[in-house]
Amino acid sequence: MNSELRTFLLGIVGVPLCLLGLFAAVYGDNTGAMLGLMAERTPTLLTGSPDITSLDGGFLANIAMSIIAMAIAAVGGVILGVGLIAEFSIVRHVSDVVMNVLRNSPWLVVLYAMLYLLPFEVEIFGVYVTISPFIKSVIGLSLPVAANIAEIFRGGIQAIPSAQWESARSLGYRRLQILRHIILPQALPLMIPNLMTIYAMLFIGTSLVVVTGASDILSAAKVIIATTGSETASGFYIYILFLFFLFAFPIAILTRCLERRIGSVSL
Amino acid sequence: MTLDFSWLGDPLYQQWLITGIGTTLLMSLLGILLMLAIGIVGALFLHFRIPVLETITTVLVELFRNTPPLVQLFFLYFMLSSVGLSLTDPVTGRTVPLFSGFTCAVLSLGLYNGALAVEIIRSGLIGVPSQTVEGARSLGYTRFQTFRHVELPIGLRLCMPAMTNNVVSLIKTSSQAALVAVADIMYGATQIMVETFRNMEVMLLIWALYVVIASLVVVLMRRLTSMIRIPGYGVDQA
Repeated sequence: MNSELRTFLLGIVGVPLCLLGLFAAVYGDNTGAMLGLMAERTPTLLTGSPDITSLDGGFLANIAMSIIAMAIAAVGGVILGVGLIAEFSIVRHVSDVVMNVLRNSPWLVVLYAMLYLLPFEVEIFGVYVTISPFIKSVIGLSLPVAANIAEIFRGGIQAIPSAQWESARSLGYRRLQILRHIILPQALPLMIPNLMTIYAMLFIGTSLVVVTGASDILSAAKVIIATTGSETASGFYIYILFLFFLFAFPIAILTRCLERRIGSVSL
Repeated sequence: MTLDFSWLGDPLYQQWLITGIGTTLLMSLLGILLMLAIGIVGALFLHFRIPVLETITTVLVELFRNTPPLVQLFFLYFMLSSVGLSLTDPVTGRTVPLFSGFTCAVLSLGLYNGALAVEIIRSGLIGVPSQTVEGARSLGYTRFQTFRHVELPIGLRLCMPAMTNNVVSLIKTSSQAALVAVADIMYGATQIMVETFRNMEVMLLIWALYVVIASLVVVLMRRLTSMIRIPGYGVDQA
């Protein structure tokens, strides 16, 4: 049995047991009743509505936000990454500063800043579009992630031996052509494990969007706790930990499998 | 859009910010110490494959790594405050709750980043050349002595780049503590925003403060890395 499978089995069995034990330790004799309450409120936590008729928030919003933010960050990260390896030293230095600033800023602060930096609504072709907390959160999350992706991008490109660049150049390729046709096809597989790690980080980070007022799982939980009483708070937080774990853990294991097979970018 | 930083002249706000920086730094420092302790002990359990402890460590590491630190913090805060242990301050004679927001924040930082540190230190230990370990063993070191005097010192040095990232991540994560009312930079900022309504300016200043702190820590850690480096072990960093 290889080590990833072992860790996976241990984690997927052990962690829920561990959380259940914690749950029982907190609630003692009331454990059964509390578990019933959790089950009853599960649709609200997952989708934001008590009956699964509309999808407006909850855990699904977290997943949606992480996917959209990842897509935006991937585009931004590649642009910034190309800047990091640009020939002009000014472009390189500017990109480097931008990357370091974004990478060193706390996600929470960026999210707060987005709340005030982004306007309430923007005019696009004469149509007023309201920038909802959801959009603000997605943008706020994608900024630091873009910086991380840019760094992975640079690391992946640099992992390819420079002889590849030189021989392509001698064949008459231009710089961006070399990047697109020769370097990236070799570098992308190397980047995948790191990108997956970043995605897992981003997904875990979506719990922070509660500060922007977006209707994510934590704000759903807050509403529920306000009605069921603060003594139920620990239970709901354990449950949320469990949900996040269920989603993030398989990604982490898959990442490790891939890492062992194809290696990864050392940053 | 004009930025108005005149509120910075107010001594009260300056004091809030400075206390906030102090609290953030203290919290991060304690968090880092706890993180290192957890990381080293956890890595020791995994490295020596101590029967039961190894399994428990694996489970706990996966639990803390794959769940949001914010929810961990909320959980600790709600659970531990309901336990309600308190201790008496020997100086003032007042009873203070043992698990204040600050303690919970330090604990949660230590646990989350400690779980990451376990894996980081373990990969550092794996990176120690087997010849070095065998050399120590043949000189008569016991397994634990080898760990204590040879593998750990070299392993910690090897994992310094990853550890730098982890330390920076810990400092960044510490901003969450404001959400359980720890008076750190972030908390000071929200207070100032409530009073002055200069939301954007305050947020930009806080952003800059965190970036400066994190960048300084990165520089310091690089310095430390090259200072303690043993020639021949690890990659050369020019």
